[in-house]
Order: sequence, then structure tokens, then C-alpha cells
Amino acid sequence: MNGSRNLLVSVLMLMPLSGLISAAETEREPYDDRYCTTCHGIDGIGNEGVQAPRLAGMEDWYLRRQLENFRAGLRGRHPQDIEGLAMQPMAAKLTDASIDELVEWVGSWEYKPAEHTISGDVNAGRRLYASCAACHGADGEGNEALGAPQLAGQNDWYLLTQLKNFKARFRGNEQGDTYGQQMMTMAQSLPNEQAMRNVVAYINTLSGN
Amino acid sequence: MSKPVTRREFLNLLGAAGGTAAALRAGTALGLLPGAVKAANLDLLNLGSNQRRVAVLGGGISGLTVAYELQKMGYECTILESSHRCGGRVFTVRNGDLIDEIGNRQYCEFDNDPHMYFNAGAARIPSTHRNLLHYCKELGVELEVFINENKTCYVQDDAMLGGKPVRNIEYTTHLKGFMGELLAKALTEQELDQPFSESEAETLLSIIDSFGDLNESHLYTGSFRAGYAEGGFLKHGTQKDIIAFRDLLKTRLGRGLINANEGDTGPILMQPVGGMDKIIDGYLNHVGSNVRYRAMVAGVQVNDDGVQIAYDQDGVRHSLDVDYCFNCIPSHLMTGIPNNFPEQYIRALKYIRRGEAYKAAFQAKRRFWEDEDIYGGITWMNNPSRQIWYPTAGIHKEKGVILGAYDYGGGMYHTLMTQEERIEAHLADGEKVHPEYRNLVEKPITVAWHRMNHMLGCSARWSRNFGAGWTHEEEELYHTLQAPVNGRHYMIGDQVSMHSAWQESAVMSAQWAMADMDQRVRAELA
Repeated sequence: MNGSRNLLVSVLMLMPLSGLISAAETEREPYDDRYCTTCHGIDGIGNEGVQAPRLAGMEDWYLRRQLENFRAGLRGRHPQDIEGLAMQPMAAKLTDASIDELVEWVGSWEYKPAEHTISGDVNAGRRLYASCAACHGADGEGNEALGAPQLAGQNDWYLLTQLKNFKARFRGNEQGDTYGQQMMTMAQSLPNEQAMRNVVAYINTLSGN
Repeated sequence: MSKPVTRREFLNLLGAAGGTAAALRAGTALGLLPGAVKAANLDLLNLGSNQRRVAVLGGGISGLTVAYELQKMGYECTILESSHRCGGRVFTVRNGDLIDEIGNRQYCEFDNDPHMYFNAGAARIPSTHRNLLHYCKELGVELEVFINENKTCYVQDDAMLGGKPVRNIEYTTHLKGFMGELLAKALTEQELDQPFSESEAETLLSIIDSFGDLNESHLYTGSFRAGYAEGGFLKHGTQKDIIAFRDLLKTRLGRGLINANEGDTGPILMQPVGGMDKIIDGYLNHVGSNVRYRAMVAGVQVNDDGVQIAYDQDGVRHSLDVDYCFNCIPSHLMTGIPNNFPEQYIRALKYIRRGEAYKAAFQAKRRFWEDEDIYGGITWMNNPSRQIWYPTAGIHKEKGVILGAYDYGGGMYHTLMTQEERIEAHLADGEKVHPEYRNLVEKPITVAWHRMNHMLGCSARWSRNFGAGWTHEEEELYHTLQAPVNGRHYMIGDQVSMHSAWQESAVMSAQWAMADMDQRVRAELA
């Protein structure tokens, strides 16, 4: 359509993912796999409006694992995992090469901690967090050796949604999602949503360092 | 045939006779005549030798309206469009076009003919949408009448008559006949006709007789309105069999059928010849060179004397400083773009829920519906695909593009499916109406607005409780979002209206914002 033809040449030249566009389709509107910022916000800051979490600052090994899990259908297939269902078909299209590209792209974004939107009983949350700390670290900094991502600085509404999803077995219930299964088991110890809010409110106080 | 409705049932239905008397008094003939409201007459100041820069964020119809009007008045306008095309949800799909659904990209394979298009978003222009029509006229967009309600189309519900499709005209003729009989019975009961004078009662009864095509005894015994079983031209026509009232009541599709020609779709409906995006083309003829495509807004900072925009294009972050900014980026995407908006403004952006509407279309190998006397219009089905639209364009040509599903309320049912599952669902639904459907259609496309790149939603949903109307809080948030930030930044689009999903609302929101800005510019220059 208008304008886009003029851009075709420059887009092809500048786009590292141009190998994904087949030669037969160059007459057509080109596309790439760089869809991340439509949902996850500019520079991956996260977008509460579509419930898509912060990507900037996410560990590359964790990001890669999640993209591969989504692609393999180990995540985002449960009919009640509403946001996961939106992510899964996107990831299903990715090649190994485009996952490499995306991880590198996300790595270029500057990390800034997310704003806090959830409040709760921080002291109660601190006590509950004791069992989380074993894997995710006392400061919510994460632990690659244990496969546990950083929690500090992540969007608190996203953490809450994931705790709910793990507890309800919408996430972590697939054979092959080893880390997800561990987390699903751990989430059962949180008795209710208020407890989850308390934990998230405590995570909001952590530095991640 | 129907069992007589008891008097008690009928009184319950009406909410008691006293209610009728109250209703008679409630209306007044004063002040109800509709005025001839003109299209908003924008009286913008021409800048003359003065200079003002404007950024338009998003090349949807509201944004293009702003650029078109302000450029005429001497403003320097830049339109930043994140996708490869302008128009937003004014989206006409033709041969070769990309449907950029995240996770489900499609290219349209329809034959390359002028009538082989699909309006995947906006598709109808009511004759009362004066502001939009004003631009159609000014931009030279050729319009034709759009066939919306067509009683030759079908009504199909698995629960009715074993799922056999029935012509709309049969269904509605019989429904009105039985309803008319009930009304006539009620009126001839002494207590119920009490509030009326003799002359009023006679008039009303005659209208009821006509409404239901009742006989001299005010009973419904079938009607030629439903069409002829046979004959009707060289021989006398014979009446079709009546469908029993109880059978008609097996479906609730009647609720939609009975008001299809009222409300938003009451006025004569029109469409641009060749596709709804002819309106977009019309704007772009004037402002097309001001559009930067694949330019994604990356930041909006409102200052005392202007607005600073950051945007990404060709892998580079650019900045653009302007005096005024008009922003039709969907609210749920704006929340993911750094900004310095006031807290309550952001709250309003976050409050709006995104719409889920979904459409699908097929190319028909031949116009099989014309063999069944159907030319345009809508078949109603009580299944998730909900509707089939037969094209107004291309009558008697070989092929046509047919709408195979339109879920205007929900849409997630199909959105959550894979492309293959969606298509199979529409084929299975459609063949309940047209038994050969599966063999007659090809080259499907689906448009799940909830997943479309740079859109991620259909029309804005302000009210959380559709039935109860807007809350006071919702009204306040709406007015917060309508008002400018610092007199510099305006949210626009049908999302900033109380009647989203119509181009008219988008155009009017743009006009409202421009008129507000114009007052500020006049004050500055005075």
C-alpha cells in the first residue's frame, strides 16, 4: 500500500531478519518477526493495557527458554491462560535463528524497574517469600544455575497473574516444562490471592542485586 | 398453530394495563421534531503567515481527518503510522494484501478484480453520519447503497425445524402475524382498550391488523408476504404453509431480525464503490506525502509549549518536536509507550477494555446465492459464525467475496483457534445454510482484531456493564481523556466517543479536538 513500497528497499537492507522473507514474496508487503514491542511496549517496558510483561532486562537464558517453551506448546496452551494463548502462536512461528535475533534485540533494551501497582502486607509477604528465595534469591535477583528468573523489577501485575496461573495449573502442567512444574508445585503453598498479593508487594521492595 | 395466550400472560407481558395509560400520557408532541442538524461546520483559523507544527499519531480515519483539515489551514502536519498502511480498522482486503495478525500472518489470495474485496473492519455508512458523508463528498469518494437487511436471506438455528434454514421473510411474516394476533386480542379486551378513545382504538387495531396481516376476525391465517409456494405471475400464487408459533419461538434470532432496520442500521446504508478504504485513499490524495510508514511512536512528552515525540523507523530512533499532537493510537497500546501524561489521564487510558470483534471471508467460486434469489444482505445463524453477508458489489459477475463470519460482540471464540480451526468452523456453520458451501467457497481470510499487529483490539469498550449504561466514574474518565493535556495533546478516534465502532464517531472526535485547539491558537495569535 501507499508508502510501504518506497520503504521496501530500506527495510530489507536494514532488517537483520530479512532471510525470513522468501524471494517470491518480495512483491508483497514484507514482514519480520519483530512483533515484540506491539504488545510488550516500547523498548520492552511492559504494557499493562494488554497485560504483556516487561522484557527489557530479562535474562537472555530465561527469555530463550520461554520462547522455546511457547514454541513447543509447553506454555500458552491452557484454555484459561488468556495472555499465554496470545503469545503461543507468535512463538510457534519462530525459527532458531529468529529466536537468536530476538534475544539479542531484547538485550539491547535498557532495564528500568517497573512501576508498582499492587500493594499488600509486606511483612506477611516477606515470610512467604522465604521459600521463594531459595531459587529466586534473597533480593529477587534470580539464579541461572537453578533456572529461576529475576523477579525484582518485573511488572507486579504480571507476577500476580503468573502466580495465579501456576496455582490453578494453567502454567507448569505440561510434561517437559521441568522448571514450570517445580514452580507449579511451589505455588500451591500460597493459600489465596491475598497471599499472592502480599508476596508480590514484598518483591516490589527487592533490589534485584 | 399456537395455543391461545392467556389474559394473565398477556398482562404480564405488557406490565399491566395501567402502564399503557401511563405511556399514553408520558409522551409529548412538543420538541420531538428532529432538527436538521448540519454537519459540524469547522470554522478553523487559517494560519496565514504564522507557522504551527502538528504531529498526528496513527493514520486512522480520525488522524487523517485532522491532517487533512489542518493542512488546509496552513499547519505543517506529520503523520506517524506504525504499520505498513493507513486506515486502521478501515481495512479493505484485496488480492496480495497482508493481514498482519500476530502469530497468523496471511496474504489474501482473492482474484484480482475490482469487486473482489472484503471490508474487514468498517463496512457500512448510515445516511445520518453526516460528518463522514461530508468528507466522502468533499474527497470525491463514490458511494453506492449497501444492501444490509435482505429478507430473502436465511435464518438458521439448529433448535428450529431440525436446523432447516428458513427465509427471513417467512420467519418474520409469521412472527409478526402471531404477535399481531396477540395484540389485537389484547386491544379488544375491554380493560385494555379503556385508555383509548373509540377512534384511537380503531386506528390502533387497523395498524395491528396490517402489522400482522390479520384477517377480518383479527386472526393470523398465513400471508402472501412470506412469498408464494408457487405461481404468482401467470397463475395465481398459492400461499406457503405457516410455520407454527412454537417453532418460531425455538430460536431467539428474532430479536435481531425484528430491529435490523432500526437503530444504527435504520438509515439507508452506503459503502464506497470498490472498498471502504477509498475514503482513506481520498484523504491520502491530500496528505499522503506527510505520512511516515512503519514509524512506531516510542515516547510522548507534553511540555508547556509543545509536544516532543520519539519514534522508531528503519531501526533508528527519531524525534519530532511539534506545537500540537493528535493521537489516535489505541488506548491499550498507548499505555505501553513512555509518556508524561497526568495520572488520571493514564487511568482513563487503562480503563478502556479492548474490543474483540472478528470477521472472516471467503472467495466464492460462483455467486451461488444469486441462484437462490439472494442479492446482498445478511443471513442470520445461531452459531458462532453468526452471519453470512452476501456482497452488494459485483452482482451477476462470476465470483464474489462472501463474509463467512462476523462476531461483533465477542470474537474470542474464533480468535483463540488456529487458522485451520477457524476456517473449518465457518465451513461447518455455513453448510447448515448452504449445503454445498464447503465446495463453493475457497481462499479464506480471517481478521481477528484482538490480534492484529499495531491494533490488538477492535472498538473501545468504556462501559463495564453494557446493560446498565455508563457509570458516573466512566463519564468522568471519558471527559478526562477527551480534554487535552496542557492544551497540547489530544486523544482522538472512536475510542474518545460514546459510540465507538463507527467512523462518524472517529471523525467527530477529531473535529471536537481541532475546534478546541483552534480556540487556543486564536488566543495565542490575538
